Amino acid sequence: MAEAPAYSERLKKWDRFEVEKFSKKAPVTTPYPFIDIEKPPEYRGIPHINPEKCIGCGACVNACPPDALIMEWDKEHGVKRLTYNAARCIRCARCIEVCPTGAMEPTTRFEIATDNKEDLVEVVEHKLAYCEECGEYLDFTERQIEYVRNILPKEIFDAYALEDRIKLTQEEKMRRTVVKLRETEGNVYPAFMLVRETKDEEGGEE
Amino acid sequence: MARLKSVWVYHVDAGSCNGCDIEVLDVLSPYYDIERLGVKVVPNPRHADVLFITGPLTRQTRIALKKAYEAMPPKPRIVVAIGTCASSGGIFYNSYALYNTSPQRGRDRLRSGGPEMIVPIDMYIPGCPPSPEEILYGVAQLLGIKEKKMKGEYWIALPPAEEPSKENEIKFRIPDRPIPLRYWLTLREELRRVVGYYDRDAVLNDFIELVGRAYNEAPDNPQEKLHDLITGYALREKDSRINVAMRFLENEFWRLVKEYREWGEALKEKYPVTAGV
Repeated sequence: MAEAPAYSERLKKWDRFEVEKFSKKAPVTTPYPFIDIEKPPEYRGIPHINPEKCIGCGACVNACPPDALIMEWDKEHGVKRLTYNAARCIRCARCIEVCPTGAMEPTTRFEIATDNKEDLVEVVEHKLAYCEECGEYLDFTERQIEYVRNILPKEIFDAYALEDRIKLTQEEKMRRTVVKLRETEGNVYPAFMLVRETKDEEGGEE
Repeated sequence: MARLKSVWVYHVDAGSCNGCDIEVLDVLSPYYDIERLGVKVVPNPRHADVLFITGPLTRQTRIALKKAYEAMPPKPRIVVAIGTCASSGGIFYNSYALYNTSPQRGRDRLRSGGPEMIVPIDMYIPGCPPSPEEILYGVAQLLGIKEKKMKGEYWIALPPAEEPSKENEIKFRIPDRPIPLRYWLTLREELRRVVGYYDRDAVLNDFIELVGRAYNEAPDNPQEKLHDLITGYALREKDSRINVAMRFLENEFWRLVKEYREWGEALKEKYPVTAGV
């Protein structure tokens, strides 16, 4: 199996364009606007939202110092939109650091000058999860729920009976807990374990 | 916009932190040499075709900018906003010291703010500060040498089960990795303490690959195999930061494996009956 080159070797792949273009000696002035160039790989260009991976958690919105990333809420239609505008972005890469899915991707893109600010806007629209009991949209998206399912092991889901409660609003969860507390007063097991109403297995505890 | 030939430029500082001003000086230096495109910086707005604005437009500079703009000849009267502050108010957009009359105080989708409050802007060059190439690109676009490359994007992120039917609908995908997602997340957060964001993902990807190889090649004793693999990696890698990060990751990984196993046993001890399931 061929060994991949070392990490610091891979970084050195970028050369200044003069070295390839001119065999003897490069001129002092860059020929840039008349040719195409690339920035080095560690150059901080504008970040890019990868809509395949983005779950719409809003960690980047909290981290963004100049509010280049803002979450637009539309609870009536059950969507929230993550909006990014490169005109406000200061390239601090805080969003890339905090993103829990790696959806915020650094790029080396630098040719972003434009005459119309609409070109700098990037929007990712997320569908919110829906609570069947209350008929309301939740604060989080269905992608977030799916991500949590992938993070937590199956045993935790079983022990806490999370599968039943994961798509409920906070009020509904509290209401159910109160109901269960009243039902199971004096029981040794905590109430959050007794959410689902299957009586056959709970019989031994009473 | 009609094709411009030799543009004369007047540079206004509307309350900038001087980062963008220094970059404007840089494009005048021999390496970038914006003067070969016909750009000349003049000391008087009456001689200027183009106004370079840097800074987020403070209250103090508002009148000065207005006067400089009105002193320019009426044609072509082009305004170029250089820097994030001049494009949208930047990091200072909701400061008390700025002149910002936009209805949502700069929180609308276009992020309005900055000099566009009082003068129409023909070219936005965002960047904090923009590198000299970015300024060169903006000016070259103004002169018709380069084409515009940015385009607004609108994606619809579909819920996990649905299939895309339109072009801008994107299916959800979690990348496949040889280690569970919670290990990946924890390692990634721990690695923040050792290396920066740029090296972090690359180093973590390399490490995950090695973990996958260790479990494939030696299922009985992956710990020793992983140690050997990382030693081999360290021999090839000359950068000591990366080596430290790899050793750190190895220790963290085995600590996590142990900790999660203990937690799992403790959970089983604490709740022997998994009720409701």
